Amino acid sequence: MSSFHRASQSLRTHARMWYLIDAKDQKVGRLATFVVKLLQGKTKPIYHPAADVGDFVVIVNTQDVVFTGKKWNDKLYRHHTGYPGGLKEIKAKDLHAKDPREVLRKAIYGMLAKNNLRYTFMRRLYLYKDKKHPYKNNITQELTGPCKPAKKLQDYTPAEIENYPYKNLF
Amino acid sequence: RGRAKNCFRVAIQRVEKGLQYAYRDRRTKKRDFRALWIQRINAATRAHGLAYSQFIKGIKLAGITLNRKMLSELAIHNADAFNQILNKAQEAL
Repeated sequence: MSSFHRASQSLRTHARMWYLIDAKDQKVGRLATFVVKLLQGKTKPIYHPAADVGDFVVIVNTQDVVFTGKKWNDKLYRHHTGYPGGLKEIKAKDLHAKDPREVLRKAIYGMLAKNNLRYTFMRRLYLYKDKKHPYKNNITQELTGPCKPAKKLQDYTPAEIENYPYKNLF
Repeated sequence: RGRAKNCFRVAIQRVEKGLQYAYRDRRTKKRDFRALWIQRINAATRAHGLAYSQFIKGIKLAGITLNRKMLSELAIHNADAFNQILNKAQEAL
């Protein structure tokens, strides 16, 4: 530990990491909880809610993010403009068509603590709808998202398809 | 302006309130710090794939009686010792 004097140790511990996450086939909510932990710095043992120990997160391929069930049609994002009769509703799929980054951004924004640090954390979040991002030189680590890709029909063996218990389910 | 620091009658009320808060917070301080230590230990153990709940269970089974304050301090300053404690906990599970 000869060259690890206090200043450089502190620099290593308190440095902000840049993480790259691929959002392809990740469920929105589960990815958002994962990202929020990184942004707040809750993965670090030096965490303190008042100190700002969060990391930078770059998310690519947000256009390929997944909602389970019928949420693309059924989930409504609502806000009120303040004027009477001004309730604006937009379906998740329409919002995604307008801006593919918004769905994930809203999810993460809603999951962060509603305090003054939320703005700071959101500024450290970079969302990109496809693979291109300008932070190639900054990224320190690439992380995989929390959701495993769903098994497709081709991946099931014929024996598994035969024995799938669909006959006496109900 | 600033009557709470300039006028005796208002100031004495703020002082009383301040003393009440101090009394209450001497008790909440102990809770707050324990919560912080738990969050920090959770962060350190999850980095090695073990959740805080499992870690504490393993520690109890292994017979380590370190408290959470020391565990969190170890996790920050003395990673080698913390890793050894993690290993002992994982063995005991």
